[in-house]
Amino acid sequence: MHLRTLLAIARKDTLDMLFNKASLTVLLMPIFLAVLFVGIQALLGSTPTKVLIYNPGRSGIEQLVKQSFSNVQMIYVNTPQDVASAFGPNNARKDSLYALGLVIPADFEQRLVANQHPQLQVYINGNQVNRQQSALLQGAIADYTRQIANPQPPATIDVATINPPAANADTQNLAQAYSLTVLLCSFFVGMSLVPGMLIEEKEKKTLRMLMVTPASFADVVGGKLLVGLVYQLILSIVVMAIKGGFSGQIPIVLLFTVLGTLFSISVGLLAGSIFQTSSAVGAFSGLATFIYILPVFVVGVFSQLIGNNPFTNVIKVLPTYYLADGIANALAGQAGWGNTLLDGGIVLGCIVVIFLLAVTLLRRQASVAAII
Amino acid sequence: MRKIASDFMIEAHELRRSFGRKEAVKSISFSVRRGEIFGLLGPNGAGKTTTIRMLTGQIEPDGGTARVAGCDVVKEHEQLKQRIGVVFEEQNLYERLSARLNLEFSCWLYGLPRQRVDEVLTLVDLRERARDPVRTFSNGMRQRLVIARALLHRPPMLFLDEPGRGLDPLSARAIRQTIKQLSAEGITILLTTHLMDEADQLCQQVGFIVDGRLVACDTPRNLKLSHGQRRLTVTLQAGQLPAHNECFEDILLDMDDVHDQERLCRLIAQGRIRALHTHEASLEEVFVAVAGVQLV
Repeated sequence: MHLRTLLAIARKDTLDMLFNKASLTVLLMPIFLAVLFVGIQALLGSTPTKVLIYNPGRSGIEQLVKQSFSNVQMIYVNTPQDVASAFGPNNARKDSLYALGLVIPADFEQRLVANQHPQLQVYINGNQVNRQQSALLQGAIADYTRQIANPQPPATIDVATINPPAANADTQNLAQAYSLTVLLCSFFVGMSLVPGMLIEEKEKKTLRMLMVTPASFADVVGGKLLVGLVYQLILSIVVMAIKGGFSGQIPIVLLFTVLGTLFSISVGLLAGSIFQTSSAVGAFSGLATFIYILPVFVVGVFSQLIGNNPFTNVIKVLPTYYLADGIANALAGQAGWGNTLLDGGIVLGCIVVIFLLAVTLLRRQASVAAII
Repeated sequence: MRKIASDFMIEAHELRRSFGRKEAVKSISFSVRRGEIFGLLGPNGAGKTTTIRMLTGQIEPDGGTARVAGCDVVKEHEQLKQRIGVVFEEQNLYERLSARLNLEFSCWLYGLPRQRVDEVLTLVDLRERARDPVRTFSNGMRQRLVIARALLHRPPMLFLDEPGRGLDPLSARAIRQTIKQLSAEGITILLTTHLMDEADQLCQQVGFIVDGRLVACDTPRNLKLSHGQRRLTVTLQAGQLPAHNECFEDILLDMDDVHDQERLCRLIAQGRIRALHTHEASLEEVFVAVAGVQLV
């Protein structure tokens, strides 16, 4: 393999890709999808978060709440009863305009310093605030109180939730599901890019021309792999950035992004070694879309909806399930050593097997590349 | 680059190649001198392209040996690539890229400076269209571009597989002129064709290939003379018709007959001869006579 010829082929393929409007549209599709999802999210999330607050002492908690939610609208009341009557008791079912209610004692911070364990009453409307947001808010309040006074716990936080979401129906965290879906869709692009480039060389008979130049068949394949790998990585990172996917456990998200890229490139290489026409690769890519899409429904928030059933078990056969599971866990901040190693190990093993299989098939083709 | 010691740019000895049970080339031997244009002529499926593929190192022969531009086609494959230029039967260009980018890509592969692109574009008269995508080019322009690409690295040996196929007469003529110009510059050319006129006009030596075998190999003139008839058709002025229209008569003379030789001398002396036609065979007639098949 010669670096000069490999880079020359990669350079040519990049230019050819840019001049091909049809394939460029497909290649940029995940970015369009990411932007679309961001737009939908912005539209859905544009309603203000109304907070009913009793805060006679102008406590810093108010500021903390403003920072924790987007587009916060504070409505001040004169008595704690006004807040209580707007929400009702814990677990009550009630239509309420307000997302949050707060009853903060007048001398909250002073009592914290005096170690008197002041009580903070928080009302949460489950129709507007999901479990994760609720947990994050409670964590932020606890952190705030610890900054003012120690030892722990300096305050008693009493939380009352009205319209609580069902334990297995947490469908509100769609943003996370969107991020996962768009990222997996972006991997699909890499899978069709490499075989597309390889087969076009065969179909247009330009591979014959390359075989009488200093380029070897390995250089041709290597050049295409390089383009596919770089493009796929950039695409996945851009998509993640647009979707705000760099949240949760970022290094693990990045690890699975790299693994996903390598996986899709390996599958693409295998397809390029098996199929001889663009239409055959197109048909394969169409079917292969499902191996990326299906796992979305059995990991993360959707898994709670679907539960454990035969369909879930079938999906677990796919390597992309472990890819999706790894990403979903990392995005939710729930990736531990055990599940990360399991998911990552299975994906890595599949990459190695698929890559070796593709290389074996391509080595057979190398001897007759000039007459393909 | 290593100097080529031999006077021959191609020395093929008993080359053989099969594809499955089909024997595409059956023991072909021939040689091509430096600076010569050699035409490999034959009908479709005769084994011309397979022979070129073996000589350019695209496929390995099943048997026999060949040296091209001083390199063994099997053992010195990488050196061979630097010394040959190949124009394929298909105009295999990158359609979306411009003519310049197609050539620049080859420059990147060979590690050549970009200035070389302008030189070859000028040579094939495509400099004006250098920035246009190849998909907008006519067949003739594409063919000139593939020739330009094959010449980028200044190979001493050029292989042209059916260079005139599918071209209009003007484009075909332009390609023939380019080939003659390259030959005049000292480049050895092996071309395959089934167009006998093209071979007759271009080649110093031709080989007839039929069913994987080389059935004849000589200069076009020798082949035509050896298979032609030594006869003359003489067109005579037979008399004057009304309205000043001349009346003509054709007679056939055998050049080896003493009486016919004397008759020709008399007719020349009388000044009655209006035209003379030799009965030299065309290359196509020679091919049919030698190979026993028509060109398709």
